[in-house]
This record gives sequence, C-alpha cells and structure tokens, in this order.
Amino acid sequence: MKRSEDQLRLEQILRSDQIVSGGFIGDDPRMVEEIIEQDLATLEHLGRTKEEIALRMAEITEKGKAGLGTYAIIDDRLEAMVEESRGSLPCPFPDKANAQKTVTVARDRHTHEMLRWSDLSIHLIGKHAFFQGTGSRYRLDPRRLVEMIFE
Amino acid sequence: MDMAAIAVSILIVGGLGAALALLLVVAERYILNYGEVTVDVNAGERELKLNGGTSLLEALTSQKIFIPSACGGRGTCAYCKVKVLDGAGPLTPTEGPYLSPEELKEGVRLSCQVKVRTDIRVEIPRDLLAVQEYQATVERVRELTYDIKEYRFRLDDPPDMDYIPGQYVQLFTPRYKGNKEEVYRAYSISSDSQEKGVIELIVRLVPGGICTTYYFEHVNEGDRIRLNGPYGEFHLTDNDRPIIFIAGGSGMAPIKCMLHHMVNTQNARPAIYFFGANTTRDLFMLDDMKAFEAKLPNFRFVPVIARPDESPGWEGETGLVTQAVERHVTNAGEAEAYLCGSPGMIDASIKVLEGLGLTADRIFYDKFA
Repeated sequence: MKRSEDQLRLEQILRSDQIVSGGFIGDDPRMVEEIIEQDLATLEHLGRTKEEIALRMAEITEKGKAGLGTYAIIDDRLEAMVEESRGSLPCPFPDKANAQKTVTVARDRHTHEMLRWSDLSIHLIGKHAFFQGTGSRYRLDPRRLVEMIFE
Repeated sequence: MDMAAIAVSILIVGGLGAALALLLVVAERYILNYGEVTVDVNAGERELKLNGGTSLLEALTSQKIFIPSACGGRGTCAYCKVKVLDGAGPLTPTEGPYLSPEELKEGVRLSCQVKVRTDIRVEIPRDLLAVQEYQATVERVRELTYDIKEYRFRLDDPPDMDYIPGQYVQLFTPRYKGNKEEVYRAYSISSDSQEKGVIELIVRLVPGGICTTYYFEHVNEGDRIRLNGPYGEFHLTDNDRPIIFIAGGSGMAPIKCMLHHMVNTQNARPAIYFFGANTTRDLFMLDDMKAFEAKLPNFRFVPVIARPDESPGWEGETGLVTQAVERHVTNAGEAEAYLCGSPGMIDASIKVLEGLGLTADRIFYDKFA
C-alpha cells in the first residue's frame, strides 16, 4: 500500500510518546488506516456510526460529572466516574483540536465490567473513527464499547 | 486529463509544498541568524542578552526565569501567559482561543508561541522572578491509595524553598523509555512549610500520563529529580472568619499544607474540612487528619463516601461532598471557603456555598484545569 508523507507522519506521531505515554497504537502491528478500516467494518456490522458512539460517550461523561469524582448513576445499567486533571491534550491528527485531560470510567452496575475513555478518545472516535491500536492504554474495542454503552 | 495525471499533479504540488515548509523550518532553525537580542524584563529590572530565534518561553527559561507551562510549549495549556509590551510579532492562530479581549488589549501572549527575533520588552509578575529551579533527592515514596502516592523530596540545590502554604511546584519529567518529551507538570505542595529543605507532593496516577507514569513506574527512593517553583496565589487569608475546606483526591495537598500552617501559627479559626471519596479505598491520611484535630481544637475533618454499599463498616458521612456541606454548614454567611479539586467539583461546591449564603469574593480555589 502506497502511503503519503502525511500518512507516514501521522503514524509516526501515533506510535510515538509525544502526546501520551506509550502512544496511541501500542504494540499493534497494523497500519493506522488498517486499524480504522477494520474498526469501521465492525461498526457497520453492528449498525452503529462513529458519530452516534461519540455522542453517547460524551453524554455518559457529561452525566458522570455529576458524581464530582465519584460514581454517578447514568441509567438502569450504567454508572460512570469522571476524573479531571490539569491541562489538555492535542489531537494527534492534523485538525488542531484539543481535549481536556478528563478520563471517564463507565461501569456496569450489575457485573462491574468497566471501560475507560478520555475526552480525547471521544474526539478520536467521533471525528477520525480511531479507536486506537491494541496494547494502547486507551484502546476501545468497538464491539465491547457498543455493547457496554448502548445495550 | 486522466486520473493518473491528476494524481501525479497532486503529488507534485503536495510534495513541493511539504519541501518548502521543511525548508522554512530548517532555515529558521539553522540558517537564519537573528544575532544577539535583548529581552527587557519589567522596564530594566532584568536585561537578558541572548541569541534570537527561540520562543520567549525558552529564552526566559534559559536565563532562569521560570514561567509556568504544562504542555511542553505546544500552546495547549495556556499557563505561560506573559505581557509583551513590544517586539512580539503578530498573534498566532494557536494563541487566539486562549486570550480574552482584555488580555489581547493589554498585550498578553502565550510565551511559548512568541518567537524572539528582535529586542523585546516584557512584564513579568515579580513573584515569578523569585521562582527557582531545584535539584532534589527522593527521600520517601508512600503509597496512600491504589492510585495515589506521596513523594517526599530533599532539596539539594538550592537547599531550601520559601513558599506560601497553598502554592505549587512544577515537577520535571525527563525522557524515559516510553516517552521522548521533556515535560513539567504542576503539583501542589502538601508538606509543612516550617520543615526546612523538604517538599512533599501528592500525586494521583493518570493512566497514560507522561509525568505520573514516570513517577509511579520509574522513580524510586534515592533517585535525583528536578522541580521549579513556587507558583500560585492560592493561600489562606489573614482574618478570623470560620473556614470551610472542600477537596477530593490529590486536592488534599494544598489543604494539608494550610493545616500545617494553622498548627504552626496556632491559628484558632473554626475550620471544617469536607473530603469527598468514592469508597473507603479512596480515603487516605486519616491519621494525619486526626493529628490535626488534636492540635487544632476548632478543626474537624469530615470524610464523605459516595458508595457506602462498597465500603463495608463505614458509619460516617455518605453521598456527594456537596450534600455533606449542605447538611453541616450553618454559618456560611460569615465563613470563607477554600476548595481544591476538579473543575466539576469546584463549580458544584461554589453553587452550593453561594446557595448557603457565602459570597463569591470569599470563595478561593485551585482548579485542576
């Protein structure tokens, strides 16, 4: 697969520790385009769009803020805790976006199964369909994410 | 024109653009020589002679003037604001969103985005000129919870720091395996300001965070570290009003520092400290708080647990920290409040305190934003 300079530069940034410790791809051997393509195929199979997912994640984060750093009830099945740190993180894609350093932990109230995402994760999914590479601390498996936040 | 020809044209134009951009960056860095320039600080108070071409933030740091910065000069934290009276050049698109109309009018700029190409005149608050860089040794690391640690640093050079309880320092993170950037991150001081030559910080692990990952995974007792400070205007006022402290997580740090100060100055102000946590696993320094209660007769510590169902045996306050404030505070109208925590927690606390009759000018806070 032929790749442009921009694509190569993006992959270099995503694999580096320039923005987050361990980078955005972890030990995933796939190229960024492959990661995105395969995750988009999963979404299509699940009948969900990246925008829908990002919207729901943002909604959970917003509701979770009511817990003031402790778990807040989101609905019959979910609760979420939002932790905010100083500063913001720039989006690694060339769109000049910035996200507050906010981490949401969503938890199933019955099974206590958990998923974690940052405000930057929401942006990366909604805008770039990038769920991050396997091994990245913030990789979100689309199937697991959809099951957790919608069903 | 067929598709192949269009693709080739796009590649050629794109390639030429990229090459020109690269050339400009290389020229700026290696070829252009701005010669010696002067940075005038506070109308002649300091006059710095240095080679032009770097950012104002780098130029000031190289001359041991430390401006707070948490993003490594990427223009994303907006901590490094400095008033530039002359010689700053045009405003960059990165800076615009971080500057209010008043700041723009006054010439305030993000110093990491201003290039020093000619002589430049700046105004820097006097307390920032007192900020120094410190070499220190990790004397003790104490695990407070599963994701919070206390670091005790022995200052080596200079051997002591004068700080006001409530202030913070910037902790340096070097390049390490898994991180190629040098960064500074801000942490409030939690130690007793009367104990000379020592700084203690309370650090909460941010998963994937460059600084906290380094300190949690790579820094051990005996290691050498670097920090600079002190910074910040969060401090106790000098009056007799009752005090309401509200904090959560590592927001414990500046409040603990203020409590040490109250003990040292035999401060008899009535004070109540609400500390919010998810479960009992998230509570820490309970013994320290008991000790403060013993030394300060008018002080009471009120830990508040949001999930009593996950905290077997807990018989204390439950719910959100703000709900406990509403239940206990009866003298808000005459009190002062000191808050440290996330923006959400602080905003909610302000709303509750104002609802109880505390005016905004008597609410002081240190937001994690």
